[in-house]
Amino acid sequence: MNIVECLTGKVYPIEILPVENTDYKSLSKARYFFDWKEERKQEVFKLVMKGQKDILGLVSIERIPAEWRIHIRLLTVSKENAGSGKIFENIAGNLICYVAKIAVADFGALACVSLRPKSSIAQHYIEKYNMHVAGTTLSLEVPEIINLINQFDHD
Amino acid sequence: MTKEQNMINADTEYGVDSRYETTKDREQDAVALMQARLERMKNLPKEQVLRAKLLQLKLKMENYLKEPVYDKQNHFAQFLETYIDAIYSKRSEFAKDINVTPVFLSKVINSHREPKEEFILKLMVHSEKVFKQVGVFHNKTWYQVYYHEKLCDTMSSQDEWRPKIEKQVKLRSEV
Repeated sequence: MNIVECLTGKVYPIEILPVENTDYKSLSKARYFFDWKEERKQEVFKLVMKGQKDILGLVSIERIPAEWRIHIRLLTVSKENAGSGKIFENIAGNLICYVAKIAVADFGALACVSLRPKSSIAQHYIEKYNMHVAGTTLSLEVPEIINLINQFDHD
Repeated sequence: MTKEQNMINADTEYGVDSRYETTKDREQDAVALMQARLERMKNLPKEQVLRAKLLQLKLKMENYLKEPVYDKQNHFAQFLETYIDAIYSKRSEFAKDINVTPVFLSKVINSHREPKEEFILKLMVHSEKVFKQVGVFHNKTWYQVYYHEKLCDTMSSQDEWRPKIEKQVKLRSEV
């Protein structure tokens, strides 16, 4: 998995790891948009460049095995990687791909990743990740979930 | 809101807060989503189901390789069984396709016999062909799984083999 430096097009390998207790000190709302300390009891993952410690993106999830589904609770990129002046591309895509891989590993052909963005940004997720709409929830399922994994996971 | 904040929020990928505020919200969404999914699943082509099963197997093998697993299970054999059963309705058909006898294949699956090197090579080539339709599958994966299991088993069973082996190993005092 990798991210792309917008200015140069240079590709950097990344890894996605569980957030450790000590990480929460550095997860300020100013840089990561949400109060991530509220997610301490959830499964939270961080995206970092391989071998580095600086956190470029975060996702927290809830596994719902009874529905063969993983729900994305909270997802963000760091402030310098949001907006038109962002430094790296593909941070959110890689995080969604990582969750998709967990879902497929756990649930196979029944795998589903869901999220519930505000209606103003839902269209973006529908178009960029080929998500389906069901009420206020967006979902990724087979075959789109496989295509997404193949798009972002080159390891 | 500042100009900078506006610029960031205009980028839809700065983040999503998907947390449910009430249980009712969550339950309503779950019902609507499940109905829509079940409808789509009815029309899911068999090839896509197979792709998903094979990708699931690949991800499970990759996860298995990430860290030592000290249990008494035969992971190589289990992965092999899942692989064959995903693709073939009869295991004998797979045996025929890779030119081994059904008896030999059965013994490998049931861990009554070690797979020969040639068997793993055939499995590697077979998987290369099959996974073309699924995605990236490293041809070293079956080998890695096989040796990872051997290594984990060896390290976790030292109590059994070490006493006998240590008696046979001596170190010359000048070394």
